[in-house]
Formats: sequence, C-alpha cells, structure tokens
Amino acid sequence: MHELAIVEALIEQVDRELHRAGQKGRVVELNLAVGRLSGVHSGSLRFAFELLSPGSVVEGARMNITEPQADCRCRDCGHTEPIDELVAQCPKCGGGNVVIEGGRQLTLDSIELEPNGP
Amino acid sequence: MRIVAAKKLLKANDLLAAENRAKLAAAGVACVNVLGSPGAGKTTLLEALFAAFGPRTRPAVIEGDIAGALDAERIERLGVPVVQINTDGACHLDAGMVAAALGDLDLQAIDLLFIENVGNLVCTAGFDLGEQLRIVVLSTVEGDDKAVKYPAIFQGSDALVITKCDLLGHTNFDPARVAADFRRLAPDGRVFQVGATTGDGIPAMVEWLLAIREDR
Repeated sequence: MHELAIVEALIEQVDRELHRAGQKGRVVELNLAVGRLSGVHSGSLRFAFELLSPGSVVEGARMNITEPQADCRCRDCGHTEPIDELVAQCPKCGGGNVVIEGGRQLTLDSIELEPNGP
Repeated sequence: MRIVAAKKLLKANDLLAAENRAKLAAAGVACVNVLGSPGAGKTTLLEALFAAFGPRTRPAVIEGDIAGALDAERIERLGVPVVQINTDGACHLDAGMVAAALGDLDLQAIDLLFIENVGNLVCTAGFDLGEQLRIVVLSTVEGDDKAVKYPAIFQGSDALVITKCDLLGHTNFDPARVAADFRRLAPDGRVFQVGATTGDGIPAMVEWLLAIREDR
C-alpha cells in the first residue's frame, strides 16, 4: 500500500529512538510487527528497505517481521478463530454476526544494536 | 543492546483515519469534520446547533486550533464534552491527532461528534480524519467565489453551510452562485443557509444531522 512511505517513516523512527536512547552503535536488527490485516505487504517492505536503507542509520541491518493474525469472534456461537484474511462469516457456524479483532498493527517493536566494543 | 521502541509506523494518515472510522462506527457515533476559514463562524454554528438539539442527541466536540483553548472554553460553557487539540503551529488536523483525542472522550456517552478543524481552506482538505461527513462553512463576508478558488476543500464535501446570512443585505455575496459552484464539485452535497446568531436555517440543519445520526 504505502510501503515506501512506511520504510521512510521507519528509518526516521529508528533515528529518533537512537537519539532518545543516546546510542550511536550500529543497528544490526529491526523487529517489526506487520498485522495480516494491516494492508501492508512484508515483501514490499523488504524491497523498499533495500532501496532506502543504504547510507541511512539502518544500512546493513536485518529486518525481522512478524505477521500477527487477527481473531474472528462470532457473537452468535461464541467461536473464536485466528484468521489471515478478512472474513464476513463465522468459519464454524456460518453466521454473519462476527467481530474481527487485531491483526492491523504496524509497529517497530525493537531495535538491536551491535554490542559495545571492549 | 536492545532498544524497545513499540512505535506505530502508520505514516499513511489514511490507515489511521480508517481506524478512527472503525472505532466510531463500533461505538455508534456519527462524526462530522467541520472545515472553513478562520472567522467563518464554525464555533458559533456549533453553539447554535447545540442550543437547538436539546435532548435529542448527545454531542461532543474535538477542537483543533494552532494555539489556545478559546473555542473549547466556549463549547465547555454549553456543557458539551470537548477535547482541545493544539497543533502547535500545524495548519491542519491529522488522523493521528484525532485518534489521541478520541482516547480522551467517552464514546459510549455520545452519539454525534464534531471535529472543528483548524481554520484553513487549503491544508485541511488533504487529511481524512475518519469522519463520516465533511462539511464546509463559508460566511457571506468571505465572498461567493471561494468554491471556485479553493475547489479541493469543497470537492466531495457532504454539505456547504453558508453562515452570516443575516448580513446578506450588506454584502454583494450571491448564495445562488456559490451553491451552483458547490453542486458542480459535490453533486450530492446539501446547501444550508444559516444565521447562527439569529437562528435562521438552524432547524433544517439540525434535522439533517439527526437523520444522519439515525443512519449510523
């Protein structure tokens, strides 16, 4: 959807976090959560990251992406089931009275820095 | 070393707006984004509407201003829940600011939320806040050429509210001209002519808003 803009935002965010923490070490890993229903494609994120990371504070870092599922909760039969895509019906009873929860997150969870030298 | 960030990356305003919209829909709250120039009469219009609603609805307001809380104080005096957003110089509200403000409102206690945007006919047009309706407030003293000069804000808006119509005799403002321009930009849009300080035209707007809230 807006993967390039999101990676731009990601790099800015990492920069801010490093400043806030007073750290100058090399970034080796980024841990992101991209919900299945976030509308954001992990593959496109990685592609945008390859394009935008050189010369930035995250150059050479590895991007670990988890893709949390959403839950479909049926208000008729009470069944709850994790889903990867939006559904309009309960997978168990077929009823349409369902609530979709979670799966929309798009977050930078943590940043791993190179250990300090001796 | 690990830095825990736990930060949202929703740079795209639209995604946040969609979250706001879903949250409001789930709570059964109708939401109106109120746009217009500084001095168009946005707050005065809200005051007139609240006086006319009576017990028929449970309104609330998110006030967007560059600085200060003058408008929020006016709304508060009416006993209507209000949250002030200070944009700290920014010329528009964005969906992230509104999301934060929604957290300060008891959505279960309200059913009609007005977001009074920063007074600006340009920048506010580009930011979906998650509203159900967008209305533009234009006063008779601003001139009847504004829909042509600032089309983006009128395009796709749900209503044009022409305020200060009690001053029509003192200006060369032609309501028919701006209404015609508006209908070209927003074929389904409604046009209201009001005088908020006299109460003229307010009942028609009240009925329209209440009907929209019922649809929610």
